Amino acid sequence: MDFPKHFDVIVVGGGHAGTEAALAAARMGRATLLLTHNIETLGLMSCNPSIGGIGKGHLVKEVDALGGVMATAADAAGIQFRILNASKGPAVRATRAQADRALYKQAIRERLENQPNLWLFQQAVDDLLVENDRVSGVVTQLGLRFAARTVVLTAGTFLSGLIHIGQASYQAGRAGDPPSLSLARRLREFHLPAGRLKTGTPPRIDGRSVNYSEMVEQPGDTPVPVFSFLGQAQQHPQQLPCWVTHTNRRTHDIIRGGLDRSPLFTGVIEGVGPRYCPSIEDKITRFADKESHQIFLEPEGLHTHEIYPNGISTSLPFDVQLELVRSIRGLENAHITRSGYAIEYDYFDPCGLKHSLETRAIRGLFFAGQINGTTGYEEAAAQGLLAGINAALLAREQESWYPRRDEAYLGVMVDDLIMRGVSEPYRMFTSRAEYRLQLREDNADLRLTETGRCLGVVDDARWQAFEQKREAIIREQERLKSVWVNPRMLVQEDIERVLGKGLEREYSLYELLRRPDVGYAELMTLPGAGDPVEDVAVAGQVEIQAKYSGYIERQREEIARHEQYESMALPAVMDYRTVRGLSVEVQQKLNRHMPETVGQAARISGITPAAISLLLVHLKRGFQNARRA
Amino acid sequence: MSGQSLDPVVRGVLGKIPVPRCATYSSFLDAQGQAIDRGIALFFPAPHSYTGEDVVELQGHGGPAVLQLLLQRCLELGARLAQPGEFTRRAFLNDKLDLAQAESVADLIDATTAQAARSAMRSLQGEFSRAIRSLVEKMIALRMLVEAMLDFPEEEIPMPDVVQRDAQLGALHEELEQILRLAQQGCLLREGAHIVLAGKPNVGKSSLLNCLSGEEVALVSETPGTTRDVIRQAIQIAGVPLHIMDTAGLRASQDVVEQMGIARARSTLQKADLILILLDTTDGIGPEDRKILDELPPDTPRLLIHNKIDLLDQPARIEQPGKECHLYLSAKTGAGLELLRDKLLALMGWHQEAGVFMARERHIRALLAAQEHLQRAAGESARAEFFAEELRLAQEQLNSITGEFTADDLLGEIFSRFCIGK
Repeated sequence: MDFPKHFDVIVVGGGHAGTEAALAAARMGRATLLLTHNIETLGLMSCNPSIGGIGKGHLVKEVDALGGVMATAADAAGIQFRILNASKGPAVRATRAQADRALYKQAIRERLENQPNLWLFQQAVDDLLVENDRVSGVVTQLGLRFAARTVVLTAGTFLSGLIHIGQASYQAGRAGDPPSLSLARRLREFHLPAGRLKTGTPPRIDGRSVNYSEMVEQPGDTPVPVFSFLGQAQQHPQQLPCWVTHTNRRTHDIIRGGLDRSPLFTGVIEGVGPRYCPSIEDKITRFADKESHQIFLEPEGLHTHEIYPNGISTSLPFDVQLELVRSIRGLENAHITRSGYAIEYDYFDPCGLKHSLETRAIRGLFFAGQINGTTGYEEAAAQGLLAGINAALLAREQESWYPRRDEAYLGVMVDDLIMRGVSEPYRMFTSRAEYRLQLREDNADLRLTETGRCLGVVDDARWQAFEQKREAIIREQERLKSVWVNPRMLVQEDIERVLGKGLEREYSLYELLRRPDVGYAELMTLPGAGDPVEDVAVAGQVEIQAKYSGYIERQREEIARHEQYESMALPAVMDYRTVRGLSVEVQQKLNRHMPETVGQAARISGITPAAISLLLVHLKRGFQNARRA
Repeated sequence: MSGQSLDPVVRGVLGKIPVPRCATYSSFLDAQGQAIDRGIALFFPAPHSYTGEDVVELQGHGGPAVLQLLLQRCLELGARLAQPGEFTRRAFLNDKLDLAQAESVADLIDATTAQAARSAMRSLQGEFSRAIRSLVEKMIALRMLVEAMLDFPEEEIPMPDVVQRDAQLGALHEELEQILRLAQQGCLLREGAHIVLAGKPNVGKSSLLNCLSGEEVALVSETPGTTRDVIRQAIQIAGVPLHIMDTAGLRASQDVVEQMGIARARSTLQKADLILILLDTTDGIGPEDRKILDELPPDTPRLLIHNKIDLLDQPARIEQPGKECHLYLSAKTGAGLELLRDKLLALMGWHQEAGVFMARERHIRALLAAQEHLQRAAGESARAEFFAEELRLAQEQLNSITGEFTADDLLGEIFSRFCIGK
C-alpha cells in the first residue's frame, strides 16, 4: 500500500547518524519519518560504551552547538567523564564520557519520541523509489510505500553485513540483528561506486568474574566535566572507574597459535579495517616486538555486570578468544558473555557525494555515517546532523549548507571524505584540521550556534543562553581592554606576584592576559583590576581568546589567502578531458570528484599544483573565449 | 608583436606582409605613409612561433624618439603593450611551454653566464625540489611525533621528550640552512654581486677596475680626483657575474662636481654587497683612511686592499691579523690579482659545489620563512600545539616552493618575471 502521509524527509536507520538526521530535519519544521528495523535499538551503542575523545569530542560539541542530541544524551548517561590532554593547550583538549548503554538509549529514545514533526515507524527498508534520477520515497519489507521529497540513508554496517568469528561467518547487520540485503542489492543497481570495509569488536566479559585487585584503577576527573553547552554535572548518574590491565607474552603466543584459523589472516576477510583501531591479532603481528598491549576495562552500565575490554577487538575462533582473555592478568577466571567478531559491510565511495552529503547520482538522496566509509558514533552523528539539515533544506528547495574547514571539524571531515575519499574507515583526529587552533571544543558554540539558529536547528532556550554568554564575553573583553595597569600606581610585590616580573610601562589588562604565563584568575587579584566575571566558561573563553589571538590572527590570514580559491566556482558538469596538459590520471580524478570549487580541486589527493595552474589557465582561457565570442 | 591576427598592424606599419621567416628590409610608416625609420622585419606565422600565435619582430635604429614614434604607431593600429611576461604566458597557454619549462626558461634567459645556464638546467631536472622533499620528509618525521603526542595521549607510544624534540628540530634547522646556502648561491649566479671600490683619491681604484675587467674602462691619471661619477663594469669570475663600481675618491673637496661625485660614491656604498677599500701601501693606513673606514656602512663586508706593492718590492699576500682582512697587490703589475679574484668569490659566499641550485628570490623567501617558523617552534617547545603549528607552517612554506596550493600566486609570479625577451 501507499502510506497516506507524505513526508518532507525520510531517514532510514536509527543509529547515531539516523537519529541526529531525523531530529535536525524535524527541528527545522519538516514532516520527518524515521524508519528503523527495530525501535528497541534506537540509539544503541554497537561497539564501545563511550562518547568523545580527541577529535571526536570536538565533533560532539559541534553537534551540540547545532542543537543535536548526542552531548545531552552523554550527560544523562555518562558514568565517567574525563578531559583528555588537560595538561596541553585548549585546542587539543577533548571530553570523553563512558556511557551506560541503557541510559544512553533511553535518552535518545526519549528525545525522539518527544520531538514535534517526527514520526517513528518500525520496518526494514528494501528499496528506494527513484524517478528520473530523483528519489521519491522508499519501500519497506512488507511492500509499504512511503513518499518523501528527500531520503537520508544511514545504514551503518547493515548493507550486506557479514560477521566473522574464526572460520565461521554469517550474514548480519550487527550481532543479533539481520542485515539489509535487498537494499544493498538495490543500491548496487544504481551503479554508485561501492567498496567493502571491515570493523570489529571485542568479546564482552562478566564483571563478576574479573579480579580488579590485579588492575590499575582509572577514575574520572573531578570536578566532573559536562558535555553539552546546556548540560550540568548534576544530570550525571553515579560515576564509576575504568580499569587498566595488559596482555603478555603468553597472550601473544595463544593468538599466534590461532592465526591459522583467523579470517583476517587466512584471506577470508576482504574489507579493509582501520589502521588506528586494529584487532589484537593485527597488533601482535604488525608490532611483533611489543611484549604487551594495554587493555581498558570499561563498565557497560550501572545495572549490568558486563564489561567492555577495550583493546582486544578480535575475530579469532571462540576457543582462542576464551584462552587469550584468560591469559590476561586479572581475567584468569573471566567469563565471556558475548564473543568478539569482525564485520564486513558495503560502503559507498564518498567521492560520489556533494558537500551537503547528497549523492551526485540521485537527487534528494543523502548518505550519512558508516555508509560513507567513516567509523565512530561521533563521526556518524555529525554527518547525520548535516545530512538532516540539508535534506530539510532541499525539501523546500533551499540552498544547501555545510561548514568550511576553518569553521568546524564537521567541515574538515566532509571535505576530507569527498575530496580525498577513504582507503580505510575514516576517523577524526585533530591533526586532520589545519585550523586546529581555532577549532576548539571550548568555542564550538561561538563557531556554530548562530548559523544553527538561522537554519532553525537551535531552539530558544539554547539561543538565549548562548547570546548571554557571547555578550558576557564581549563585555569582559571590552572591560579588560579599557582598564589600564600603571606600574607607578601599584606595589611592586603585587606586580611580581601576578606577572612574574616588573612592568616597564602602562598596559591594559587585556594585553597582560595575552602573556603565556598570566592567568585570568591571578590577574583579577591585582588591585584595581575590578570584579572578575563569575561564569567560568566566560572567563575561560576570554583568557583563551587572548592567549591564542596572535596565532588565530595568522590563521585568519592564511584562510583569507585560500578564500579566493574556495569561492572560485568550477562548472557543475565539466569534462576534464578537455583541459589540455592534464595527465590522464588527473583528468580521471577530477571527473570522479567533480569538485565544486578550485579550492576543493586542489585538495584532491594526487592533484598537483601544476594541474591546478593548468586548470586556472583553462578557466581563464574559457572566459576570454567567451568574452571574445 | 604577437597576436591572433596581426595583419592590420603589420600592413599599417610595413605596407605589406613580409615573407615568413625571412629578414625583410622595410620602411616603418606613420599614419600619413611617411617613413618613421627603416629597419628589418621578421614574420613568424602561427603556430611556428615562440607564442604559437603570429609573431612579428621589428628591428629599428636605437634612440628613444624613433622608438616612441614606432610604438605609438603600432598602438594606433590596435596593438597594446604587453603585460610583464605576457609573451611567455601566451606560449604556455598555447602549449608551447609547460609550467616547469616556463619557470626555467625565465632563469635561462636571466642567466648571463654558462654556469648559471647549467645550474638552471639542474633545477629543471628537480635537484632543488628533491632537496626540499628530503627536508619535508624529515619535517614530517618530527611532526609525526608531535602530532601523535597530541592525538593519542592514552596510547603507549614512545613520546619524544623536549630534549629529543629540540635535537630533531636542530637537525632540521641545519639541513634547511644547508639548502639555503646553496640556494643563495644560485641567486648570486643570477643576480651577481655589487662590489664597490672606495678609498681616498689616487690610491688606484680605477687602475684596479681596469685591471679586473681587462679593459680601460676608467680614466687613470696622476691627478687626484680624476674619477667624478660612479663607473660601473660587469665582470665574471669563474662564471659568477660581479658588478664592480668605481667611485670618486673620498676627501673634502672644494670642487662642486667632485663634491657631487663624492656624494654619489657615499650613496653607492650604502647599496654594496661588498666594499673594497683601497689603500696606498707606500703610505700605510693614515688618518684619512681611518676616517673613510669609520664612515663605511658597518654591516657590509669589506676587504682592505693595499695597492702599489710593486713600489716597495713586496710579495702579494693576504693577512688577517684581526677582524679585518688585508690583501696586498699591485694593480699596475697584476701581482696578487688571482688572490683577489679567489677572495672575492669566497667573500660572496661562492663555493665550487656540485649541487648549486638555481633559486629564485621566491624560493629563498620561502626558505627564510620556513626557517623563521622553525626558530619560533624552538621557542614554543613547552606549548605543544603551538610547536606543532609552527612546524606545519614551516612545511607549508617549503611546499610553496614546489607550488602546493599557491598555484595562482605562482603563475602570477612566474609571468610577472618574464619581462625579458619575448
